[in-house]
Amino acid sequence: MAKVSILNKVYNAGPLILLYYLCISEVDTNLEKIFEIFTLNFQIIIIYFWVIKRPEIMANGHIFLAGLFNDVVMGFPLGISSLSYLIIIFVGNYVRNKSVNTTIASDWFTFFIAMVFSNLLFFSLLNNFSDLSFSYSKIGYNMFFTLFMFPIFWFLFNIYQMTFIGNRDV
Amino acid sequence: MSVSRDDFSIAFRSALLQRGGAQKFSVLSLIFLALIIFFLDVYGVKLTKPVRGILNDIVYRVTYLASTPSRALPKAGTGISSFMDVREENKKLRAQIEKYKLLELNVEFLNDENKNLQKILETEYFNKNLTNILLAKVLVDKNSPFLKSIIINKGTKNGVLKGMPITKDNYLVGRVVETNYLSARVLLLNDLNSRIPVTLNEGAQAILSGSGTKNPVLEYLPEDFELAEGINIFASGKDGIFNSGTPIGKINKNGSVDLFIDPNQLSFVTVNLNIRKRENL
Repeated sequence: MAKVSILNKVYNAGPLILLYYLCISEVDTNLEKIFEIFTLNFQIIIIYFWVIKRPEIMANGHIFLAGLFNDVVMGFPLGISSLSYLIIIFVGNYVRNKSVNTTIASDWFTFFIAMVFSNLLFFSLLNNFSDLSFSYSKIGYNMFFTLFMFPIFWFLFNIYQMTFIGNRDV
Repeated sequence: MSVSRDDFSIAFRSALLQRGGAQKFSVLSLIFLALIIFFLDVYGVKLTKPVRGILNDIVYRVTYLASTPSRALPKAGTGISSFMDVREENKKLRAQIEKYKLLELNVEFLNDENKNLQKILETEYFNKNLTNILLAKVLVDKNSPFLKSIIINKGTKNGVLKGMPITKDNYLVGRVVETNYLSARVLLLNDLNSRIPVTLNEGAQAILSGSGTKNPVLEYLPEDFELAEGINIFASGKDGIFNSGTPIGKINKNGSVDLFIDPNQLSFVTVNLNIRKRENL
């Protein structure tokens, strides 16, 4: 029984561990070597999906901390990734409060809104308060591919959820 | 209508303020905390710089450790295949060593001759003084779509200062943009924020600008200058940061620059500490 409980805890911590690992490790979802314009913000897909489906396994404090780690590794001003992740959480919480059950289409659409707000805040803060300059086309590609890949990860995370954690949709 | 507005405000407030269960902090409180940290980092340089430096050093080390499996896996595959060819490679290397031994003598002679000629011309020799070179290991090479930078394992403790040029095999790679006690961040030549003055082997001056892609581009070329494939690019040294004549890359058929060193394949680099000497002069 205790073994099952420990395993459940490990499965529940899976998405959070993946988020921390992506933020702190060298592993990235920038596949420019394969396809020049293919970049992906995998972190916000993880956050949005699990905030909507199982908020209890994606604690706000952990996401905030993961954002700080991401800033240090990437060389951004501290707190900026946390802010953008918190916007994702906020939109996710709002959608969860307003909806009884979700479908892939509704999640996809609301994810787009969350991503737009999050990136708008992220890049406007960077643009106004740091010396870093950005290629707007790269931002566009990044947003496009993140949005494009969302349904694929939605299915994968759903499978993970149903296999290891259990579905709790109403 | 009013019911719908109530629904909206309840859902909105709940999204911002909801706590309980696993959520020990509300989103609103964390947003305020993130904003405070952000503005402290942006404006309170004196206050936050040492804290950020310590945090950077710790996180970079953790990142290095966390990335070990992802580094080891591709290396294991290539390691096995290269082990098979090691004998043949050894033979080739032995032959090469013999060849280089002969060349070394030649170089020594040319070096002495060059020094003597420079003395005659009264040029400053310190530019080519290679004694203050520091070897550094690349700790983190996270490929971001927006920023092209690496973290090296040498910092202010080893005399690394902001602005110092970074080379690999005597080819220019980038410059130091952030220093911590035990580590430093290097801005690569292909980053969108990188601008360095360069000389083309035909004598023309230009600015090499990172484009965010693998190949930087040349800007502010002389009027009527025609870009041709194969022209070599060197650091002009006009900024006082990079040593003049440090090779950088070659113009390709698209008009952009193929760097001699692939910025995605760096594992060891060298820091040129001579810049500090020049500041002291």
